[in-house]
Amino acid sequence: MLNLSKITLILALGLLPFFLSAEPTLDAGKNLFKNNCAQCHAKNMKSAATGPALGGVQERWGDYPESDLYSWIRNSQALVAKGHPRAVEIYNEYNKSVMQAFPNLTDDDIASLLLYIDGVYAGVYPPKVPGAVDDTAGVAAASSTPTWLYYALFGFLGFLALILARIISNLNVIAAAKEGADYEQKTLLQTLTSKGVISFLLFAAVILGGYTTVNNAINLGRQQGYAPQQPIKFSHETHAGLHKIDCQYCHDGARRSKHAVIPAANTCMNCHRAIKVGSSYGTAELTKIYASIGYNPSDNTYIKDYEKMDQAQLKEIYTKWIADNYIARNQLEEINKEGEKEVEAQWDGIVSSLTNEQKTTVQGPIEWIRIHNLPDHVYFNHSQHVAVGKLECQNCHGTVEEMEVMTQHSPLSMGWCINCHRETEVKFDGNEYYKSYEKYHNELASGDKEKVTVEDIGGLECQKCHY
Amino acid sequence: MNKDSIWIGEKDLNRDEDFLATVDQEFGTAELLQNADSVVEKDTNRRDFLKFLGFGLGAATVAAGCDIPVKRAIPYVVKPDSIVPGVATYYASSYVAGGDYCPILVKCREGRPIKIEGNDLSPMTNGGTSARAQAAVLSLYDINRYREPQILGESGFATASWGDLDQTVKSKLAASKNIRIVTNTILSPTSKKLLNDFQAKYPNTKVVTYDPVSAAALLEANDQSFGDRVVPGYHFDKASVIVSFNADFLGTWVSPVEFAADYIKGRKINPKNPKMSRHVQIESHMSMTGSNADQRVLVKPSEQGAAIAFLHSKIAGGAGGTGLNDKAKAALTQIAAELKSAGSRGLVVSGSNNVSEQILVNSINNAIGAYGTTLTFSDASLQRQGDERQVDALISEIEGGRVDTVIVWGANPAYDYCKAEAFANAMAKVNTKIALAYQPNETTALCNVVAPTHHGLESWGDAQPKRGELSLIQPTISPLFNTRQAEESLMAWAGINVSGDQPYLGYLKNNWKNGLFNGQSGFAFSGSFWDNALRDGVAKGGAGSRAGSFSANVSGALSSISRPSGNELEVVFFEPVSIGNGQFSSNPWLQEMPDPVARTSWGNYLAIPVNYDGGKKFLGMNNLKDGDLAQITIGGKSMTVPVVQQFGMAPGTVGLALGYGRSAAGKCGTGVGVNVNNCLTYQAGLSQYYNTDVAVSTKVGKEDHFSCVQYHHTIGVKATNNDGERINADEATLGQTAYGVGLTGYQGSLTERSIIYPTTVKDLPESIARLHGKQAEFDHLNEATLYPYDEYTENKYKQGHHWGMHVDLNSCIGCNACTVACMAENNVPVVGKKEVSRHHEMTWLRIDRYYFGDAENPNTVYQPMMCQHCDNAPCENVCPVNATNHSSEGLNQMAYNRCVGTRYCANNCPYKVRRFNWLDYTTADIFPANQPAMAPGEAVPFGADNLTRMVLNPDVTVRARGVIEKCSFCVQRLQEGKLTAKREGRRLQDSDVRSACQTACPTGAITFGDRNNKNGELSKKLASPMNYIVLDEINVRSSVTYTMKVVNKESLDS
Repeated sequence: MLNLSKITLILALGLLPFFLSAEPTLDAGKNLFKNNCAQCHAKNMKSAATGPALGGVQERWGDYPESDLYSWIRNSQALVAKGHPRAVEIYNEYNKSVMQAFPNLTDDDIASLLLYIDGVYAGVYPPKVPGAVDDTAGVAAASSTPTWLYYALFGFLGFLALILARIISNLNVIAAAKEGADYEQKTLLQTLTSKGVISFLLFAAVILGGYTTVNNAINLGRQQGYAPQQPIKFSHETHAGLHKIDCQYCHDGARRSKHAVIPAANTCMNCHRAIKVGSSYGTAELTKIYASIGYNPSDNTYIKDYEKMDQAQLKEIYTKWIADNYIARNQLEEINKEGEKEVEAQWDGIVSSLTNEQKTTVQGPIEWIRIHNLPDHVYFNHSQHVAVGKLECQNCHGTVEEMEVMTQHSPLSMGWCINCHRETEVKFDGNEYYKSYEKYHNELASGDKEKVTVEDIGGLECQKCHY
Repeated sequence: MNKDSIWIGEKDLNRDEDFLATVDQEFGTAELLQNADSVVEKDTNRRDFLKFLGFGLGAATVAAGCDIPVKRAIPYVVKPDSIVPGVATYYASSYVAGGDYCPILVKCREGRPIKIEGNDLSPMTNGGTSARAQAAVLSLYDINRYREPQILGESGFATASWGDLDQTVKSKLAASKNIRIVTNTILSPTSKKLLNDFQAKYPNTKVVTYDPVSAAALLEANDQSFGDRVVPGYHFDKASVIVSFNADFLGTWVSPVEFAADYIKGRKINPKNPKMSRHVQIESHMSMTGSNADQRVLVKPSEQGAAIAFLHSKIAGGAGGTGLNDKAKAALTQIAAELKSAGSRGLVVSGSNNVSEQILVNSINNAIGAYGTTLTFSDASLQRQGDERQVDALISEIEGGRVDTVIVWGANPAYDYCKAEAFANAMAKVNTKIALAYQPNETTALCNVVAPTHHGLESWGDAQPKRGELSLIQPTISPLFNTRQAEESLMAWAGINVSGDQPYLGYLKNNWKNGLFNGQSGFAFSGSFWDNALRDGVAKGGAGSRAGSFSANVSGALSSISRPSGNELEVVFFEPVSIGNGQFSSNPWLQEMPDPVARTSWGNYLAIPVNYDGGKKFLGMNNLKDGDLAQITIGGKSMTVPVVQQFGMAPGTVGLALGYGRSAAGKCGTGVGVNVNNCLTYQAGLSQYYNTDVAVSTKVGKEDHFSCVQYHHTIGVKATNNDGERINADEATLGQTAYGVGLTGYQGSLTERSIIYPTTVKDLPESIARLHGKQAEFDHLNEATLYPYDEYTENKYKQGHHWGMHVDLNSCIGCNACTVACMAENNVPVVGKKEVSRHHEMTWLRIDRYYFGDAENPNTVYQPMMCQHCDNAPCENVCPVNATNHSSEGLNQMAYNRCVGTRYCANNCPYKVRRFNWLDYTTADIFPANQPAMAPGEAVPFGADNLTRMVLNPDVTVRARGVIEKCSFCVQRLQEGKLTAKREGRRLQDSDVRSACQTACPTGAITFGDRNNKNGELSKKLASPMNYIVLDEINVRSSVTYTMKVVNKESLDS
């Protein structure tokens, strides 16, 4: 009896960490950061990108009232113009590059942002996702219940258990005394080191350990929420969301091949021969496409013998284009010092995006980071799902048209596949192929069967996907 | 002997104890296991178990802590319109290797050829292929290829630029007094035109053509008989009696794919009106063609001439046949009568390389009136054009100091020319020696300039295999290395300029436009002529014949045929179906492909006759047994060879294959077997593929790795004999035999089981009735079940698809094209000689060869054996992890990633078709330490290097160590076919789902399809009363149906 209550207590305390979860506003902060800040500020909060590393920003602004930081975030130039010492210091430190203004951010938004920045900086957020190459990876499902409530609850229960145990113990003593028996009351330490408790602890450790191991093992290789930084900051939100370009315009394999196909650079050129300066990043990102394919945006021609050129020649062509744009945008007569820095920075960005350990030349394909990875022993065919099953891309890929950074929406686990095959109805109508399933057609006609799922025609069998 | 007896070899007949032990133990005897690789831990104990357990946990923990590696998705920069990643494209092209020709379709994925299919637009082959054509795609990715031009310097060959090479060669050519170009048969009319143009630039050039296996006498005889120096067009489909004197026309001779397609038309049998052509083979060793013959007449190699002369005397009159054995005389007398009555529907062919003998054969054909029906000159074959006497002449020219430049184009005379040594010695005296070669070989080693050529799949080209038939070769991949098409090199050296990136393409197009277009009548414009040929791969054109009427000096010929030697022992040399005369040695698929008859791989084995001692034993010559080493001395040259006992050898004859013992054939061909090209004899300058001066020793040792698959994966089963004892079924050998061997009550060595049902045309109706009786018996047995099959089938398989296969054993000629096609399609690994000798060959589809009839001169039946996809599969029930199970479409599915390697399934498979990855043959294992050492000093096994891996089919998983694999009925093709039908919104057609073995087959022996499609090709085949299921009696409900084997002879015993 004594042990039982203690078991409850130990169980409660033991399980406590499993209910640990993030503060509620962290998620909002993450979204805000992703949509507003991530273009210039490194996502690990520790290294400088176009803008400074944001980690520890509150300490650095610690000498000033909090409202100063808030107004700096909303409109930095206004603060610089006012001559705020910290503002001017940063402005000069970062070569007088101008931080975009975000006048629409509310105080709550900024609070969330700062919380998120601090969370990432301190390593508390996000929970580690296996396989993430980038610290920004992982959209952990955050619980909305405050964590302290759990602690309080478990604390209370533990306390209750202790009291109850003590009461029971005392009652035992009284009962023993009444019967005249000699009853030695155990101290707490004695109880905790008793054989039963230790055995139970070991048992619980094995079970919990096994449970965690199995779960982790199952999750090996899974990367739901994986959103690595790509060589080009391609925004599906802009292309598929804002401009409503059909998914299959670029991913033209989806309807006819197993692969959806990452579009070749010449597909980009269909539009970007005309749209040469981007809305978000100007020339910084689009020039990468031109440098990959060998297009000279200054005179709208494809460069002859592009493959044979060395990097210095390329630099000349593309920095000229970037500089010309800079001059035009800022209505300058000729390039200034900041402009030169900007041009240099953009060129460096192009080189680092288009080259890696294996690929040493700027020329050639853009090596995207593959997000949706299936194991080698899995056969998946897009056209089966898109052309025959008539599924929307969003079924598996989520609301891509809202993703600024492409993220793996689904777990891509076998259970996930199987579940869908269990539930999804086969598109019998109008497809002559399925006429061979006569029995099902008859059953559907007679009402014996409501629907024919993928499972019914063998969609759960091994060799539909593994061969 | 019981006329239903079938057996697989001598061990089977003799109830060899070792063999029976092997059969009993699924994975081989203790002896084989002792031979195991060092990575196999034999004495694993509890401590080791704990170590592994600890390591496993540790590894899992470490792995869990690691990030998943970043994978990249690399798109095209500019995507070609014709390529959709993930979708295969097919290009029509031609496989040409010397005189070998096969029209093909090349399957490319992402610009990478991965599979060869037959081109069914070709009227010659109707879509058939050969094993060699199938394997051509692997040679594209041969690591042994030349990658750069080479010039011999002081310290060996050094890489040069093409510019330097051209300059060197041009200056040498300009200064040359006499240039000789050595080639094998050239099928390409455009290449020939180019050689003419080359001669125009360098008028002192001569082309020397020979063939690795000579047919010079055939050409010469037709020249003398008809004034037309060609191989006539043979029409085996029109022949009702085919007599072949040692011509392996189904395996290697002239145009085997074409001949097999034609031949089989006369061999398909309709049970309602049983009729088939009759095929008699007169030969010394059992060739693949001979094994398909209805009757074989055994003669020693030196008796061939006498045999031809004897037949000639019986048909065209006159004398002939001195020294021929009496058995052969009796048989040939009867055959002569048959030929006479067949008249113009008779056909005699001969593989002899003696001009007089070929003239006699022509005379026989002329006498029976075969010319015009079974033999024609209007579609004469151009596939053999060589004459080794030209090389002889070249050698004497060199010896006379008259030649200062030799260009060797594609040929390898330093190995496959019959006087290779003389050639090599002569070459030393030549100033400039240029090789146009694809990979290093014995001849390139003698040269001082190597201009590496493209592989056929990287080249442009054309071919004229026959009069009236043209064919195009188009590149299917950009050149992998810094190589150049041979023709382009010749153009550069001769200063022939055609503008464009690909000069030879321009030259080729010009020749088609200005030359070949004029010789055709199908197209009005040269552009459409070219475009159609490019699309179809084949075209009509280049017809014409020079043949006159038969006039030859027959009596002169009779006096100069070869004479029987009278020696006790003779040796016959033959071209193996797999590697030719060494041209394909460096192709591991072909090396591992077993010889159809002897079923040996990785080397040439001395085929020795098996003699019946009159008592109870069948003995190999000199008491030699399979796998013994014997010393053979041929014409004074002595070598040690492993021995294989071969049924159906002429008494006093041993056989040895050509093409082995190469000294420079890369990683997989060098040093495999022994070279016998230098053991040939000569008559009138022509090489004779036998030698009468031969002696064979008794056993001198034991072959380390006897890689004969004959006794592997035997369908060995237990049975009870008449005394009620449990015995190995294979022990019950010959049934009620004339020799008194074996036990009563058995059908043959493989017992009264449903495996092979041999019969004759005459007995067919009776045999069918007997078969049906047996099937009724089986059905009766099988009905005693709690789970009535038909009820189950009704619910499970009667809608959607129910896959099935039909194999016509009358059409299967044993050529192994399907085996190689299966390896290519399904990423089946090559395991090497040692592993084969340990029964570890991975082939999903094997061709079982059984003998039946007369033990001293048996008939043969080939049975392609793959997973039977039993609907009541014994393997599925025993899998502890459910890695193998059944699909609703009747497939026996194998999930590799689920398999834990207990091998229970393989043990329980009655057909022995499951293969276990004993070692990490593919290096697919994540732990590199699991990789086996395949050969001393080799870092990776065959096919595991990055270049060779380009041949892998990306739709099929590469299996790692420790899993079982087996035939999947090409499930990737089924899924693709179904998807195509779904996308097009139509019902599935037969053409959507064709397995790799089916498309490869030159004779249409394999039919795959949906049993639920009542109008499909398969349903029609399944209606035949000659069908049966292998091991029908054990109620596994297999999905593969076979037909009875029918031979056209009086009785099976004779």
